[in-house]
Amino acid sequence: MSSMTNGAQPLLRARGLSKYFPLESGLLASLRGAKAAVKAVESVSLDVYAGQTLAIVGESGSGKSTLGRLLLRLLQPTTGQVLYKGANIFDMRRTELRAFRRQAQIILQDPYASLNPRMRIGSIIREPLDIYAEGSKTARNKRVDVLLERVGLTSEHARAYPSELSGGQRQRVGIAAALALSPQIIIADEPTSSLDVSVQAQTLNLLSELQRDFNLTYVFITHDLGVVQHFSDRVAVMYLGKIVEEAATEELFAAPQHPYTQVLFSAIPTPDPSRRVDWELPQGEPPSPLDPPSGCHFHPRCPQMTAACSSIVPKLKATVPNRRVACLLYEQAATEPRPM
Amino acid sequence: MSLLSVRNLTTEFFSGGAWLEAVSDVSFDLRRGEILGLVGESGCGKSTVAYSVMRLLASNAQISAGEVWLEDVNLTAADEGELQDLRGSRLSMIFQDPMTALDSLFTVGHQVIETLQEHLDLNVIEARERALALLRQVGIPAAEERLNAYPYQFSGGMSQRIALAIAISCHPQVLIADEPTTALDVTIQAQILHLIRRLLVEEQGTGVLLITHDLGVVAQVCDRVAVMYAGKIVEFGDVASIFSNPLHPYTQALLNSLPSQGIARGELENIQGRVPSLADRPAGCRFHPRCSHALGVCRQETPQLRTTADGQEVACVLYD
Repeated sequence: MSSMTNGAQPLLRARGLSKYFPLESGLLASLRGAKAAVKAVESVSLDVYAGQTLAIVGESGSGKSTLGRLLLRLLQPTTGQVLYKGANIFDMRRTELRAFRRQAQIILQDPYASLNPRMRIGSIIREPLDIYAEGSKTARNKRVDVLLERVGLTSEHARAYPSELSGGQRQRVGIAAALALSPQIIIADEPTSSLDVSVQAQTLNLLSELQRDFNLTYVFITHDLGVVQHFSDRVAVMYLGKIVEEAATEELFAAPQHPYTQVLFSAIPTPDPSRRVDWELPQGEPPSPLDPPSGCHFHPRCPQMTAACSSIVPKLKATVPNRRVACLLYEQAATEPRPM
Repeated sequence: MSLLSVRNLTTEFFSGGAWLEAVSDVSFDLRRGEILGLVGESGCGKSTVAYSVMRLLASNAQISAGEVWLEDVNLTAADEGELQDLRGSRLSMIFQDPMTALDSLFTVGHQVIETLQEHLDLNVIEARERALALLRQVGIPAAEERLNAYPYQFSGGMSQRIALAIAISCHPQVLIADEPTTALDVTIQAQILHLIRRLLVEEQGTGVLLITHDLGVVAQVCDRVAVMYAGKIVEFGDVASIFSNPLHPYTQALLNSLPSQGIARGELENIQGRVPSLADRPAGCRFHPRCSHALGVCRQETPQLRTTADGQEVACVLYD
């Protein structure tokens, strides 16, 4: 909780954010009134504090990447708001939106797919500066050199093409491009998952340094809980489009409350042979987001399921200050007055 | 008694007008009923070892030296007919992408039954019964209906279970698993690894060669582990010893670069530089340009794997 009450203010807040992808599109479907949709993100509310790192974790199909894109208005939500410094980004008009876009950047997972193979590294990093017409051309090129150096490359790399770089170097290019406009917040979608561990370590160290030097706010979307624990201040755990638990990193790892978080944590292979776990625990597969289970989405796999879980949708509620969980097991506890 | 014995294996790729060594002088034994981890970063040659053992190398690759024995059979000398008989029966493999082993045009039932009939003397009804039992064993719900389903109707985790069912259908002595869970979510990964350990290793005494880059997976399921760097094994030993007392500077750096529990936020150890490409591997110890303990001698002498007093094997002059 210390990490949250360091006086940090929310920079970005999501309120009741949902994104449904219609299954059938086109005129015919709309005439038929087709309503079937994948609820990729469902009523998500969360706060991202300035200068901190919020990790969003979950398995494939949990909606974490969709949420990341909504936070940057790269997708239009079905319902809900994202407030950046108090202003709803979905209401922003051209000028405001332009200002928001330079302050909020994204780093993508696959440095092989996300860099244009026909552009030189220098042009890739300069592109945001060109778009925003930052200074003279000489000044922009100078800025590219500074950025390259800042991410541990050299000005010689500016002339290279992405194919001439290793995966780790490409990810540095992605980071440099994201930094070009001196953003305040960066959403990093699995930034290290395609990298080898030694390169991952270099990249994480770089991201830490940059955060410290520029007081950056990060939203880290990842499935790697080692990275989460090492890197984040707070964690939101997603399951089938919903946040099931949210807490300060230390508190979450010390005592995960939601049964899904517990299952997820027990399934992480800890790199310590003296702490082997019995992997009989996690049962079944995540259900299809096309047809999520009723009540609590996790109930068919939940080892602590009760009769009510298949009918009642648990709400994400504070159990203790700064800690939220969406599970009936805790609802009782949350509504009763706590002893002083 | 070792099940699979790899002796001084060297495998080369033809690239840019020259033969380049992807695997250099690699030796190890796989025992009955153990999971041996082969671990290293991309490009270290771990998958090439697997494909060399299976004799499934691409046409621009060849085994240029060394031998691989499956008990009394010299796999490096076997002809294609003998290999066909061995693969799927005594020697099996699963891949990172289960679709490598599955044919999208046939039902999974057809594919499991085909493998069974290819290697075992079973009629269709017996084979179907056996296929059903296998799908149940690997945890496919509603197995009876799923026999008639096509691979695209399965999730990644379910496809990997089916690939596993096919791989183990004829009780192989050796299973080679090349990053079998890398594409899967952690809860599914845990289930698949648990299956491999319980169904194969514990119940049937299969020897499993598990190729992975994930040190967490190694720690959780392997009995012994070989650490590879730039085509060579640099360290070999019991999982407990390697994790508690890594000897080779590369193993040490690799373990220290892991972001994990117990390590407070702060600087992760970096390994400076990058893995050398096949074409320009440094002379002497291949790790020396990145090694924080490198001595003058490391630039010239190629260190050999030596057994230490504790039974761990390491290829580093610091321990000579």
